[in-house]
Parts: sequence; C-alpha cells; structure tokens
Amino acid sequence: MEQEMFNQRTDLTALSEAVEKIKQSLGKVIVGQKDTIDLLIAGLLADGHILLEGVPGVAKTLSAKLVARCISATFSRIQFTPDLMPSDVLGTAVFSPKAAEFQFRRGPIFGNIILVDEINRAPAKTQSALFEAMEERQITVDGNTYILEEPFMVLATQNPIEQEGTYRLPEAQLDRFLFKIEVKYPTLEEEITILENQHQQKTVDQLAEITAVLTVDDIKSLRATIKSLFVEPKLLAYVAQITHETRNNKSLYLGASPRASLAMINGAKAIAAMAGRDFVTPDDIVKVATPVLSHRIMLSPEKEMEGLTAADIVAQIIKKIEVPR
Amino acid sequence: MRLLLLFFFLVAGAFCANATALQKINAAKKEVVVKKPLIEKLDSSKISARRFSEEAIADYSKQKEFIYDDVAPKTTSLWSRFWRWIWSMISELLGGKVSGSIIKYVLIAIAIALVVYLVIKLIGLDLKLLTGKSKEVDIPFDESLENIHEIDFDEQLGIALQNKNYRLVVRLLYLKTLKQLTDKRLIDWQPEKTNQAYVEELSRQSYHQQFVELTYQFEYIWYGEFYIDQPTFESIHQSFKDFNQQTA
Repeated sequence: MEQEMFNQRTDLTALSEAVEKIKQSLGKVIVGQKDTIDLLIAGLLADGHILLEGVPGVAKTLSAKLVARCISATFSRIQFTPDLMPSDVLGTAVFSPKAAEFQFRRGPIFGNIILVDEINRAPAKTQSALFEAMEERQITVDGNTYILEEPFMVLATQNPIEQEGTYRLPEAQLDRFLFKIEVKYPTLEEEITILENQHQQKTVDQLAEITAVLTVDDIKSLRATIKSLFVEPKLLAYVAQITHETRNNKSLYLGASPRASLAMINGAKAIAAMAGRDFVTPDDIVKVATPVLSHRIMLSPEKEMEGLTAADIVAQIIKKIEVPR
Repeated sequence: MRLLLLFFFLVAGAFCANATALQKINAAKKEVVVKKPLIEKLDSSKISARRFSEEAIADYSKQKEFIYDDVAPKTTSLWSRFWRWIWSMISELLGGKVSGSIIKYVLIAIAIALVVYLVIKLIGLDLKLLTGKSKEVDIPFDESLENIHEIDFDEQLGIALQNKNYRLVVRLLYLKTLKQLTDKRLIDWQPEKTNQAYVEELSRQSYHQQFVELTYQFEYIWYGEFYIDQPTFESIHQSFKDFNQQTA
C-alpha cells in the first residue's frame, strides 16, 4: 500500500542493492557487530572518515579491511608507530641521478581507502600530516599541492585502554572523523559462533571469498544520491539545537563544532537512504548523534572523575531536546 | 733505592727554592735605599678667598619662595569641599569603621564596572565569548508551544480540513492518536521521544502493526513532505479512525 501511496522521488534501488551486497560480504566473516557494520557503510556513503575504537581482538582492523575489500579501489595500510614521520605517510622528495633533480615519491596516503592502524601510537607531529588530507582531500609537500583521488576514506583504529606508548589524538584531527564507532564485545551467542567458525576453518575460506562488489564510480554515484536527500527544515533546527546544547552543557569542557552539525545531517541522510527513505527522520538523527558527537566533545574534569562518558552526556542532551513533530 | 732518589730530589728542590727567595728579598732592599725628595717646589701664588654677598642674601631672604617659616593658607574649592562632605557622610553611615579613602576607591571601582557593563550592553558584545561558550539562543519550535493534552484537536482538525491542508491534518491525527495512547497508559508520552520509541512501547500489542503503518504514513507526509491528494488522504484518515476505535 505504501509503495503506491508514496512513490520515491529519488531512486534508491542501486543504493539498497549495494548496501545489501556489502552487508552480505561482511556478514560472511564478521559475526554480529550489526551497528558497527551499519555505521561503517553509512560512513562510506556519507563520504566521511571513520575512527574505530575498541579493545584488542574485537575485529576493528578486520572490519576496516573487509570494507576496503568490498570496493575495487586502491587500498593502503599504514601501521602507526611512535617513530613514524610525516614523510612516511605523505611521501618525500628523492634525488634522481638520472634526471638530476628531486622527484616526489608518493606515500601510502595516495589511495582510495586508507587503513590507519593503531592511529594513537604516532605522535602529534605525524597525526598532523593527515589534517589537510582528511579535510581538503589534498596534500602539500615542498610547496606543491597534490590532489587525492576520489573516493578518499580514512579508516582508523585505536585502542582506548592502553596508555603506554600512545598519544591522545589532537582535537582538530578528531573533528575530521565523521563517526567514532565503539566496537563492543560480541554477545555470548556471537562468541560461540565465532569459535565454531574458527574451529571448522570457515573464516579463512570465507575471507578469500570476499570480492569487490562496488566500483569507484558506484561509490561516487551513491554519494551523489545521498547528498540529494530531503531534510525537513525543522530537523535542521533540531540538529543545530543538539550541537548548540553541547556548547552550553555544564558537564562539558568543549562543545561540538559546526562541522559536527554537518556530519550529523550527512550521517542521518546515509542512515535514511539505507532504510529506503529519501528523507530524514528524527530517529536517523538520534541514531548518528552519539557516533558523531562522542569524539568531538570533552567532558569537564569532575564529570570524567565521576566516571561519565561522552556517550552518556550525548544521551542526556538528546533527552533534553524536544523532537519536532 | 727509588725512594732514596725521590727524597734526594725533594730536599735539593727545597734548597733551590729557598735560595731563589732570599735573592729576591735582597734585591728589593737595595731598591728601597734610593729615595726621591717628597716636595720638589712650593706653590707661592696668592689666594683670594671668596665671601657671600650680604646684599644678595638679604635680597633672596625677601623673596617668598625662600620664606620657609610661613605656612601658606590652604585654598579648598567648593567642589573639593562637596566631595569631602560626601566621603564624611558615607563614612559616618558606615559607623566610621572604614576609612574614607577605602570607600572612595571601592566606589570608583563600582563606577568603572558600571560604565564597562553599560558599554558592553550598548555594543551588544557576547560576554560568554570570553569563556568559550556561546550565547544561549532559544530555537522557536512551534511544537514547544503545543502540549498534546492542551490542543483542541476537533477545532484544529476542522480548520485544517476546511483549508484542505492534508499534511497538517495527518500531523494532528497522529498527535491525537499519541494522546489517546497516553490517556490509556499504553505509551509514556515524552516530548523528546522519537516515534520509534512509541513503536517499541507498543510492540506487544495486537495493533502494533497498524501503529507502525500510521507512523510510516505520518513520517512520509510530515518529515518527507510528500504530497497527498484527497483520495489518498481519505484512505489515511480512515486508517487513523480504525486504529483509534481499536484502542478506544
């Protein structure tokens, strides 16, 4: 009945098929982690970078690698270490005796999908090498600017528990991530399935089965579709009010930037499209609010000592704001 | 043998050093003997001593700048006397416990603060910018003014229907449904809850699926701004009526 009543203004068939294919591919290897997979796909569709945070062994790196494998695009992996230099990421000028001049040798940042593993193990100097690349999709070395190819997506992982040999990511860099996805422990049933799969050696076989289901052009086209989705003006005000509240909340030392509002809208559009709608609802916004805001806000020292988390404060803020209806 | 040699060199060295020192002292004694006369020539020029001019001293003594004994009478202006009176009055009011100068400085500080405050207010500067927090702005939500328990649904629906504003009619019908569900304590109405929260609250009810469909229709029409013509509206209106009868 609904299909006849509300004919979609935007054709989401290709998008729905693509999402289904990615989910099926990831589901072959990753057990559970539904929310993580949904947000990873939403981030990919919303043209954003993603920070995966979780304790060791919860398939953060594997998830990122599998997403990259689902797309036939160039993939680079950079293992961040304390002695990593910006030139190790961006590239460096090397003297060519043959040409008798310095030639720029491209670093691993020149790719479509970049997996930055253990991002918090490199110092701020190396982290800052990513600033321009992540926001402006270009890098500048020795006065020359190099444009990075579209799509460009950084998938970074970090472990929140370990303190030894790690550095807190700069606020400017955190703000450049569309989502911070907290990868949680699997449930008991899921863990049993993981063990069964491993015991029957299914995982290795299934990992080899995963092939690219999307091309670079597909990604570009899907992203264009996402951008065209409709957002009711009152929902824009709802998003602005959520972000604004983070700046006035007494539990917070640092509020979210306008980039957070934009990220919330883009993320909500991707979630809406994945649900088969060409418009955003308040539920879509609420769904992305925590992954968008939790890494962009800073708790006041007293609230941190009380054991509250950024996600708790975001939940409190959402509870304070009336849903436009 | 080595020790004996070492001892011999130490003793010989000591004797040599002693001899050198004695030679230096004797040479110095010889130098002292040759002396020059202390005064070579006497100064025999005439010296005329200068004396103070008695006339000049008398002249200076007559000038008022040099009359130190006389105390100049203090000339206080009317303005100064007024302020002295003010400070004494304030001091008296405070029981004389605080000195006039302290009160003076406190009042000056208050006056400066008042002037700064007035300037900030006049130019409209956001003081919270200094603390890193922006000015609080109330976003004027229409819905904030509406409490589903206070809306006269019959009247509002009548007006919307008369204007053929079907989008607004569907919204009012949905809000009316939520009110009815709240009155029956089937859902816990809270302004900050999303529609999906109510869908979940009704998940165990037999009419759950109907409510899912009503929510779907409301969201497409209200948030999606989908156009609905009269026949479509009639169909939706009927589904709302059926649901409300079921939950009544």
